[in-house]
Amino acid sequence: MLSMLRKGEKAIITDISKADELVKRRLLDLGITEGSEVCIKCKMPFGGPFMLESCGQCVGIRKNEASCIKVEGL
Amino acid sequence: MDIALLGNPNTGKTSMFNNLTGSYEYVGNWSGVTVEKKVGIFKQGAAKLIDLPGVYSLNPLSKDEGVVTRFLLDDPFDRMLNIVDASQLERNLHLTLQLIEFGSPLIIGLNMIDVAKNRGIQVDVEKLSSVLGVEVVPVVARTGRGCKDLAEAATTPYRETKKQFQVDYGEEIDKAITKLEQLLQGESSHSTRWLTLQLLEGNPYVKKYLQSYIDMADLDGLIHSTSRAVLAGSEVRTIEQFIYKRRQAAIGEILKETTEVKGNSGQPLSEKIDLIITNKWLGLPIFLCVMYVLFMLTFDWLGFPLSDALDAFISGPITEGISQLLDLVGASKFIHALVLDGIVAGVGGVLVFVPQIFILFFFISILEDSGYMARVALVMDRLMEMVGLNGKAFIPMMIGFGCNVPGIMAARTIETPRERLMTTLLTPLMSCSARLPVYALFVGAFFVHQKALVVLSLYVLGIVVALILAKIFSNTLLRGETSFFVIELPPYRLPQAKALWKSTWEKGKGFVKKAGTFIFAGSVIIWLLSYAGPGGTNVQMDDSFLAMIGGVFAPLLAPLGFGTWQAGASLLTGFLAKEAIISTMNIIYFVPDEAGLQGILANTFSPLSAYSFMVFILLYIPCLATVATIKKETGSYKWTFFSMGYALAIAYILSLIIYQVGQVFGL
Repeated sequence: MLSMLRKGEKAIITDISKADELVKRRLLDLGITEGSEVCIKCKMPFGGPFMLESCGQCVGIRKNEASCIKVEGL
Repeated sequence: MDIALLGNPNTGKTSMFNNLTGSYEYVGNWSGVTVEKKVGIFKQGAAKLIDLPGVYSLNPLSKDEGVVTRFLLDDPFDRMLNIVDASQLERNLHLTLQLIEFGSPLIIGLNMIDVAKNRGIQVDVEKLSSVLGVEVVPVVARTGRGCKDLAEAATTPYRETKKQFQVDYGEEIDKAITKLEQLLQGESSHSTRWLTLQLLEGNPYVKKYLQSYIDMADLDGLIHSTSRAVLAGSEVRTIEQFIYKRRQAAIGEILKETTEVKGNSGQPLSEKIDLIITNKWLGLPIFLCVMYVLFMLTFDWLGFPLSDALDAFISGPITEGISQLLDLVGASKFIHALVLDGIVAGVGGVLVFVPQIFILFFFISILEDSGYMARVALVMDRLMEMVGLNGKAFIPMMIGFGCNVPGIMAARTIETPRERLMTTLLTPLMSCSARLPVYALFVGAFFVHQKALVVLSLYVLGIVVALILAKIFSNTLLRGETSFFVIELPPYRLPQAKALWKSTWEKGKGFVKKAGTFIFAGSVIIWLLSYAGPGGTNVQMDDSFLAMIGGVFAPLLAPLGFGTWQAGASLLTGFLAKEAIISTMNIIYFVPDEAGLQGILANTFSPLSAYSFMVFILLYIPCLATVATIKKETGSYKWTFFSMGYALAIAYILSLIIYQVGQVFGL
């Protein structure tokens, strides 16, 4: 799961189908979908959102949404 | 000729708009600054440029994205100018392909070629142009390089010579296009290909548009049969995804032909900055420090001495000059009093605060232009999530510190209707710059040594009340619907002096303009009401109409610590515009300058009642312009009246508690 990655770790998204429809659509708009390489840049404290980097852009998403996205480590 | 400006968020669309039109336009570096379409005239005067909100796709998720789709469907225009970020070409081309499908004449401005180059991406502009069949002009919007060429290309008559690129979506989709063509019977002037694809992708605006020509059942039938046929032989789960994949594949081919990636040039500066700014533990403290510095500069270090100097200038040389001028032309005593006690006192009392308000707007502009706003949303999201909102709702609130009206409009970028409504209702609690003069006046009189701190406490109080109410609303009135948060964090950009000045002026000029029109007229009326009474004209102020009107409210306000007709009358005018409170007080207390007014206030208020008064002003009602905006955005009288009613109730209760509890403690 994406939420299990540590800061600085890279992975490839393998399954995004469990995520919320709106989240999926917005990530798709940003070019992030199955097969995209992502890297956790930062995790906010107290279960706050994550900052991801993918293809040169940074995106913030929530922890619980990240825990619906399956990834495979690199 | 009308040209529509389209592009992804954060591609420099608005800077391009400024460069091309030379008009003063509001620039922002977070999605959603362009919340309404704005129109500018090209420098050569040859065409009109229409700035639209940034979108990733023509299938909208939020209300402000819907503005673009509705514009394309309903409004007439001659051509489209698509700003494309060369450093994010892959993502940007999704929109470009949809625009090509739409079929109006298109020109591409390939922006940020410098950023792309730094990241090791080389784009072959000519090749891209020939592959897409669209004219492509490379530009750097921030510095203005290439903008002249783009303006020329955009305004010269269009020659359709090249064949435009077409994505191959497969046989089944082509069949659906033919089917829709038959159903439409030539009734729509838009490209059927585009309409079909948007319909299949689930675009609600396009579906609604098609419903005016075609039966709902026929449309759903078309969607269903096509989905089934398309998905039968493929592994994708939805037709939306299928279309996306086809586009993605086509973009992959285009990129292979037109771009060259020469290795990555290490960690970008933006990411290094983010290591500190959005650091797990430093993020929030840094944000609080930024806010503290902002308030100290506005109220203490810089703004206060400037306002003081301006005050001395207005009450000294200017008043004297006007007085002498009036003597010179032999004005009557009535005119004399009207001009000096009414207009100069009313308008001058407000203008004094122009420096402080411009400093505040300047810093809000820096926060927007630099890309820090999006980080604030990220840092604040956890807190906002707890009260049932998301981090993005914090941006309208921050903008609300400048003025509630654009703040409420910025709430459009929030995707879920429930969170949008809540943000719209709560943004008026943010202390806007028009409330600032009132604080400045009172802290100057009562809290000389803790000026910035007392004012900061009011701003914080506004936020805290908003958060508590958000929690209450989301558990009672506005339950249901999950919260949603995905935000793009654009790279940091150094704000440019020219753009900063433009956006500061753009925001601040409203205040100056209001002083010259609304406050001017208001001052005359208030002065006349204070000059005349049931007993005739030139009455004692306490016998005037104004005292009668204000007196109605005085008993109600007495438990809050300011039960005078003067307070009642100024609160009444404060509904029209918050800074009118100051004008009214200046007129009522017969003083032309700030220092004099503060002296008189010290006799009628105590520090405790002054604080209670400031809290009341912070919360008691959104001003008229804000109420109109809430009505426009919610489209409901019920919510509009609710926003006024709850504010009044909260303000009364809080001020009551502060004054009564304070008195118990002997303050």
